[in-house]
Amino acid sequence: MFILGFLARRLAQGALIVFLVSFLIFTLLRVIPGDPVRLMVGGMAPDELVEQIAAEMGLRDPIPVQFMRYMGGVVQGDLGQSFIRPASGAAVGGAQFDDATRSERARVLTLIADTAPFTIQLALLSMFFALLVATPIGVYGGLNQGRWPDRLALYIGSLFVSLPNFWLGIVLALLLSVHLGWLPAIGYQGFAYTILPAIVLAVEIIPFILRTLTVSVAQIMRESYISAAYIRGLSRTRIIFAHALKNASVPLLNLLGVQFSMLLGGVLVVEFIFDYPGLGLLTINAVLQRDFPLIQGIAIVTSAAFVLINIIVDLVSTSIDPRLDY
Amino acid sequence: MEKTVEIPGTPPADDLRRLSISRRIALGAWNSLEFRIGLSVFLFMLLMAIFYPMLSDIDPTRMNVRARLIPPVFMGEGATWAHPLGTDQLGRDMLVRSLVGLRYSLLIGGATVALMLFVGCLVGLFAGYRGGLTDTLLMRITDAQLSIPMIILAIAILGVARPTIPAIIIVLGLSGWPVYARVMRSVIMAERKREFVRGATVLGASDMRIMFLLLLPLCLPPIAFVAVLDVARMMIFESVLGFLGLGVQPPTPTFGNIIADGRKYLLNAWWIATMPGIFLFLTLASLNLMGAALERSRNRVYGGIE
Repeated sequence: MFILGFLARRLAQGALIVFLVSFLIFTLLRVIPGDPVRLMVGGMAPDELVEQIAAEMGLRDPIPVQFMRYMGGVVQGDLGQSFIRPASGAAVGGAQFDDATRSERARVLTLIADTAPFTIQLALLSMFFALLVATPIGVYGGLNQGRWPDRLALYIGSLFVSLPNFWLGIVLALLLSVHLGWLPAIGYQGFAYTILPAIVLAVEIIPFILRTLTVSVAQIMRESYISAAYIRGLSRTRIIFAHALKNASVPLLNLLGVQFSMLLGGVLVVEFIFDYPGLGLLTINAVLQRDFPLIQGIAIVTSAAFVLINIIVDLVSTSIDPRLDY
Repeated sequence: MEKTVEIPGTPPADDLRRLSISRRIALGAWNSLEFRIGLSVFLFMLLMAIFYPMLSDIDPTRMNVRARLIPPVFMGEGATWAHPLGTDQLGRDMLVRSLVGLRYSLLIGGATVALMLFVGCLVGLFAGYRGGLTDTLLMRITDAQLSIPMIILAIAILGVARPTIPAIIIVLGLSGWPVYARVMRSVIMAERKREFVRGATVLGASDMRIMFLLLLPLCLPPIAFVAVLDVARMMIFESVLGFLGLGVQPPTPTFGNIIADGRKYLLNAWWIATMPGIFLFLTLASLNLMGAALERSRNRVYGGIE
């Protein structure tokens, strides 16, 4: 029963957050200068045509009216249609206003559903790489606080956090794929194309994992139940792996929830550099093309993902450490 | 690092205790090797960025097509000392361009963090001191802001509006303040119940006086020290925006737009895209080392370990 109450409360809060985000993005996009219709019909179109199309699309109605119409669709699972992208093929950008071959525009939900799996694959692989590198160093650093493993964790963290992701991406692409030919870099034609972007993203995540892990492991090792475990005659290995690490994973999970938006920023840039066909690339193109429905759709989907991830993180944390109470 | 064991509740054993908390944090950081390395690298980069473009008198935007794509001096053939790091596709000097980029990066990073600190600490101060309805209201706004994916918002705003320097500072600054508000609030809530605040109230000090003359000078420095880490983060953010074409616009050189430009010439002139990155990396690494040392020192002072 507790779980149900918790879920109901958090989902209600989450719905409110998603609503606020959509309202904020929706309003900002319409208040800020820059007319999407002008971009859609191309620079050569006469002003009357721009006004006519804008009126047809309802873009000249008051903002609250537009917003309510939009949210009416969203509630029914309809995120609208892209301004720019056709249902099949690539973006057409500033096509001619009288282009007869222009086809049906793509549905935002389809666009997002098509690209999201790529991004999820990238995110999971980079998480895997990051944990693979950061866990041993971080745990070892936390167990030997103040000595060289701790320093090592600090230095690696400080260096990695100072590497700008886009620059690292370019340098790695130059070294690993141009000069050495080990990994493919640009585009996507198979799983191997995920590895290089995932490495760049992992380098961005590692410092945060290292910092959280060293601090939390060091803190837990000072707890009285660890000393008690020694007295109970448990081996050091058992204490570290069964007692300390289990509890140290709670701050790590929380980190995932809090740093979600940072991860998102990294995904955006990395996908842009490597031309990786995920949500990040879609977002950047949507922004550059002023594709309002697409930007709104992505904002709604990502804030919903943020809310859900945080709920899951809290649920898993409570099941790991029953002392936590949400 | 000297070992001084401090047991809470016992009278101070040495002079260290008599210093203010911020002095102790600064001293603790100063005693660490990381901090000194970081500070020297940072000062070196700062002085270069301030003086080299001024003294060398090379215009970072002046093109010279005859001297285009000159490699850096360590490459040997074709390089000249007139352009130590070579030139780009339009014959502009890379060293001056990188250093001017560093100026903008530092300016935007610093100003952004100052804005974040200002807004965040003010919100945290009022929420923590006033409590009650003010607290609930301010903290709900903070929570809401924390849960918005700010990166998308920032890119959306800067992509649609014209990215000028003040616009970039405001967008980045407004995306970062909630963390400071939270930290400040929790610190203030702990401090305002202390004796000296009650004493000041009895003496007839106004709320404003207590908040701005007693609590703020006490609580701000430890937070501001660690904000050095955020300066580095914001500098990366700024260069990412520049890279996406949403930062300070060309011809003004910034790390982001130099690297984005250089990417097109990566195969035959790799130094255009990589050299500015090394400057950015060194500056960020120095800031991060200083920040990490300050953060550790602060944790030691507050945690009472060592």
